[in-house]
Amino acid sequence: MNAEQSPIRNVLLVGLGGHGVLSLSRIVAEGALAAGFDVRKSEIHGMSQRRGSVVSEVRYGDVVHSPLIPGRGADLLLSLELLEALRYVHRLRPDGVLLVNDQRITPAPTGTGPVEYPEDAVERLREMAPSVRVLPAHDVAAEMGEPRATNMVMLGAFAAITPEIDTEVWVQIIDRAFRPDLRSVNLAAFRRGLELASGA
Amino acid sequence: MPCKILLSGNEAIAEGALEAGAHFACAYPGTPSTEILETLSRRGGIRSEWAPNEKVAYEAAYGASLGGLRALVSMKHVGVNVAADPLFSSSYSGVNGGLVLVSADDPAMHSSQNEQDNRQLARAAKIPVLEPADSQEAKDFTVRAFEISERFDTPVMLRVTTRICHSMSPVEAERDRSWPRAPIRDYDRDFSKYVLLPANARPRHVFVERRMEELEDYAASERDLNRIEWGDSTVGVITGGIAYQYVREAMPDASILKLGMPHPLPRELVREFAAGVHEIFVVEELDPFTELQVRALGIPATGKKIFPLTGELNPDLVARGFQLSGNGVSSGSEASSGHTRTGEIPDSPPLPVRPPVLCAGCGHRGVFYTLSKLGLIVTGDIGCYTLGALRPLESMDSCLCMGASIGMAHGMEAALQATGDERRVVGVIGDSTFMHSGITGLINTVYNGGSSTVLVLDNGTTAMTGRQDHPGTGVTASGEPGGLVDISALCRAIGIRRVRTVDPYDIEALETALEEELSADEPSVIVCRAVCRLVDRTPIAPSVRLDIECPGCGTCFELGCPAIEERNGGAVFDPEICCGCGLCVQICPFCGLHVEGREELEPA
Repeated sequence: MNAEQSPIRNVLLVGLGGHGVLSLSRIVAEGALAAGFDVRKSEIHGMSQRRGSVVSEVRYGDVVHSPLIPGRGADLLLSLELLEALRYVHRLRPDGVLLVNDQRITPAPTGTGPVEYPEDAVERLREMAPSVRVLPAHDVAAEMGEPRATNMVMLGAFAAITPEIDTEVWVQIIDRAFRPDLRSVNLAAFRRGLELASGA
Repeated sequence: MPCKILLSGNEAIAEGALEAGAHFACAYPGTPSTEILETLSRRGGIRSEWAPNEKVAYEAAYGASLGGLRALVSMKHVGVNVAADPLFSSSYSGVNGGLVLVSADDPAMHSSQNEQDNRQLARAAKIPVLEPADSQEAKDFTVRAFEISERFDTPVMLRVTTRICHSMSPVEAERDRSWPRAPIRDYDRDFSKYVLLPANARPRHVFVERRMEELEDYAASERDLNRIEWGDSTVGVITGGIAYQYVREAMPDASILKLGMPHPLPRELVREFAAGVHEIFVVEELDPFTELQVRALGIPATGKKIFPLTGELNPDLVARGFQLSGNGVSSGSEASSGHTRTGEIPDSPPLPVRPPVLCAGCGHRGVFYTLSKLGLIVTGDIGCYTLGALRPLESMDSCLCMGASIGMAHGMEAALQATGDERRVVGVIGDSTFMHSGITGLINTVYNGGSSTVLVLDNGTTAMTGRQDHPGTGVTASGEPGGLVDISALCRAIGIRRVRTVDPYDIEALETALEEELSADEPSVIVCRAVCRLVDRTPIAPSVRLDIECPGCGTCFELGCPAIEERNGGAVFDPEICCGCGLCVQICPFCGLHVEGREELEPA
């Protein structure tokens, strides 16, 4: 995961509609721009607020053309939910890093028989992505009294493994991105995520 | 001092409209175009309006142009079909103030019912097309489109696609982003130009053909719009829009003719390019629009033979196409490892799907549950409620285009009567869609003596596109109070005598209303009113409580509610998203469910 390996950093962000994936990916893209990179980001709106599967792609580097990451070209997969990580892990490079919030959200019943949530999700992810970090981001955010800050815990974890973007850049962007009453809790969530992923 | 800001294509178009000093903007919401007008109304300094449909939006923008203002009108691709009548004729009558039509196409149909290529519509209407390839160009080309419009006396189509509209990339901007309004042009009456009587329209058509020739010369000479990037002379690629970005990655060394203005095609420039390369490829999304025109010049070009005709392109598909032709660059096989971009991994257990669903507590759910129970034929329409066609509700027979439900219900009724078929049909349409083009269908039913029943699902917003106001909400695009058009009063005014409002959370009331109106021998309207859960998020009541051990009969699963999970054979209710709508309480055959304060819902 260093700059020489790939001149473009490909970050795939996934989760559920209403989960904060799109706001997280916007912050990631803003951070990359502020750090001096060219950046492109793409996603699909329209169906995404209705608890459907949501995916956003962010690419940054010296020069970036396509906003879409090539098929199996993600250097980093950041997932806000375990099943969604499983759904997209095939787009991670063999040496790519997976950061996943360990939350399980069962899909709504579709009337076509039982919907079995894959109980072995974490084991399967470990098999497919050796560099996986399973993080209790939702629990950490909930403990802080703001479960909606789960995405900022994940941003902290992301920041911990992307030294090319200075921590101070993220702090400034979080400061700008949230209403005054939500700033401190989101900033604290970010710092907790940073600690979590910096540790062993 | 200039700086770089990150903008989506839609935000960049809005920025361009402001930079061009536009005075007037209007639109009907439609994915992927909606955020253009939303951004303009948020930024201010320009009059921004939601119109009830795209035809009216285009006409309002055209009127503003005639009056001397620079006007921008934005819509999704299928919206241009609705606006086609004024668009095609305004090509003849031309403009006064600059007029820019943004057509936001949706290759891959991420949120659409077809994937038509609106370059074809622009060609049929004989107007020029600009096609940006990123947010910077989206802004720059918008400014340019206003200039072209005024210089050549023509409406200009700015054609964008979902991957431009909803992608973000850096845009050079002034730190102080406040722009002066463009000077307002005088309006002078011009009978021969603006009154399209046949005698006036005939010379205007001659003007249009001459204008397109001049525009072709312009397209060939403006090398910042249409540019050649010389590279390796063996492979020459003609491309534009988002496809240009994929070509740059898949074929970094190729020579490229990038068309920022694909219509009218600058034929001289194409010939110049073709003369400098060994083999010509055309990479474009959807139709072989440019490819066929290049081949008509006698230049052999390869396009749809190796690149897909349907769906959107991506870096992998472009790379694979070139590999098929024997020209591809091997990219270390990342792009061509056989994995799909989305979907399942081969040889892995299938994963539960997570399609979009009606929100917990959505007012539409009870309606579709009831329609399904009564076994009615349902002609549906465009909006969140189209999700009622999916499992487990599965209670919609058709979804065609905006407003079609009502006209189709009338025709379907005629067919059922003709064949003596006992089945019954209802039309289902949302409030915003009703304002868009439902009302004319209903006038047709009244006038022709039909007796259809129409359900207007009134959630007080244009929900699917992200909650925009419309005439039925009485709030304007800028959030100010506007005129309120009352749906029930409107229906009565056109001659519907049977108009009633029901609470869509009350299944029994819904069923009674439907039975009564369907048996009446005249047209009827049932307004099902419940505000969208994304507009008013305050719970209806405390979340549902399960008082028995759930025997797991599965009845409540038929609602398809995301707050109800199946776990260990029984139902589990998620208090975080349940808002106490009480539908499940009404249908639980074991009377095991309760909502505090809504005991009236419980079966007797």
